[in-house]
Amino acid sequence: MAIIETKNLTYTYPGGAKPSVRDVSVKIEKGEFVLVTGPSGCGKTTLCRCFNGLIPHFYQGELKGEVTAAGLKVAEQPICELAKHVGLVFQNPENQLFALSVEKDVAFGLENLGVPREEMRKRVDWALKLTGIYDLRERAPHELSGGQQQRAAIASVLAMQPEVIVLDEPTSFLDPLGAKKIFEVIYELNRKLGITTVLVEHRLDLTAKYVDHIIIMEDGKVVLDGEPREILSSKEARLIGVGIPKATRLYQILQKDRVKLGNAVPLSSDEMSALLRGVLKA
Amino acid sequence: MSVFEGLRFRRVYSPIHNLDPRIKFVYVCAIFVAAIIFWELLPLITLFLIQIPFVLLAGVKREWLRSMRGAVFLAAIIFLTNFIFSFIGAGYIVTAKSVENAVAMTLRFIVLVESFSIFFLTTSPDHLGLALEQTHIPYEFCFAFTTAVRFVPVLAEEAQTIMDAQKARGLELEGGNFLKRIRNYIPILIPLIVGSIRRSLELAEAMESRAWGATKNRTNLYVLKMHRGDFILIAITVGILATAIYTRLFFAIPSLNELLGSLF
Repeated sequence: MAIIETKNLTYTYPGGAKPSVRDVSVKIEKGEFVLVTGPSGCGKTTLCRCFNGLIPHFYQGELKGEVTAAGLKVAEQPICELAKHVGLVFQNPENQLFALSVEKDVAFGLENLGVPREEMRKRVDWALKLTGIYDLRERAPHELSGGQQQRAAIASVLAMQPEVIVLDEPTSFLDPLGAKKIFEVIYELNRKLGITTVLVEHRLDLTAKYVDHIIIMEDGKVVLDGEPREILSSKEARLIGVGIPKATRLYQILQKDRVKLGNAVPLSSDEMSALLRGVLKA
Repeated sequence: MSVFEGLRFRRVYSPIHNLDPRIKFVYVCAIFVAAIIFWELLPLITLFLIQIPFVLLAGVKREWLRSMRGAVFLAAIIFLTNFIFSFIGAGYIVTAKSVENAVAMTLRFIVLVESFSIFFLTTSPDHLGLALEQTHIPYEFCFAFTTAVRFVPVLAEEAQTIMDAQKARGLELEGGNFLKRIRNYIPILIPLIVGSIRRSLELAEAMESRAWGATKNRTNLYVLKMHRGDFILIAITVGILATAIYTRLFFAIPSLNELLGSLF
């Protein structure tokens, strides 16, 4: 059974002239690493907000169709109930940290849920260690770099032990190295703990290799949905203006010039170099 | 950033910083009461002096001196009004007693400033927030307090960025008379306020996503526990208050003049 499923989801923000998300039906399976991408303003963020109930509960507006997350009907459950199952990490790390120390911030969700202190301590330390910021636990948020802040934000969602983590462009405020580290952390969480991960991202060069499933949106609609290699090598993806990984693009160009490198489409420079090495040896 | 330096909070550890903020607050109140019930110079000098060890122990001498310097202007006003009124009241003659009275009133004010500044200099905001929470003040208020403190450096930085951006577009902040100067800051304030409103929406979204308001019985990662230092401070506080009340009720406190007169 899919852990998140939308059926003919259409949503208009209050006062919006046209729907931000139109007739979206997607299925996200348990344990999957899903990448959602598409041009700015295509409705990716709106879709994320539907997963944990911010839409319709926080934003109101007009919702048609159905969203279920972790077996719960999103329209019928309060956000605080959904928050236990679906964690949401936002773009700007600064505005997700409210407390005066990292540790206290990671505990915030658990305090809200009324988790007993000993249990809370354990879960906070666990989340801090997994995201690699255990040594920073007593620092104030403004003393941290953007990457460290975003890791703190991920830890604070992780501590609540949700089944799904949704990350809405978590690296757009970070430098390339910080972004790379964040992706590595996310990938590890997905592999080690089996947490279903939904990542909204433009930087496919760094992320495509981790992903099981890609959803590409344009103008509020899902245009492509499926296996990454297939989708990224398709002509449609390129025309929409999705940042196709350079390795994939190179493979396509070579193919057009009738240079055949093998059947597996590469998604990263490592895969590309492995392909080339194989061809050169032969 | 020099303008905003003072707004940053720092984490320091000292025997005084580690004390329970609730007990520290009771101590401040006790000093407050003691300072109010005396109008003679001698006990007020004593009250002033017994607080100096706290400042030294906390290692906040420089910050403390700065806050005391801030109180000089008000202290001068208090001294002058007291002095002038007693001058007029005594029939336009300066007596040693009226000077001593004016000094005593000023010192009373200084003692109050002293104890409050010790409290605020040695209590970190998260400690204070925790104390608020554990005195059963509704959590919403405590949250508003700690979040406000948390965002002070962020807003300070944002204000600086906006100032730089507006200056780069030719905005002049200095110059002109008082009203003109205030008006100069409008192009800084409007983006700052709009930005803060937008930020608050994002914060609300993040709070909701972390189960804000899921249960009435919120738990807390930390508990305030009383340590040996806290019990010592309680003893000191009770001691000061008891001595002060006892002295007030059963002793005729000599004025400084009389005391000096009897000695020599």
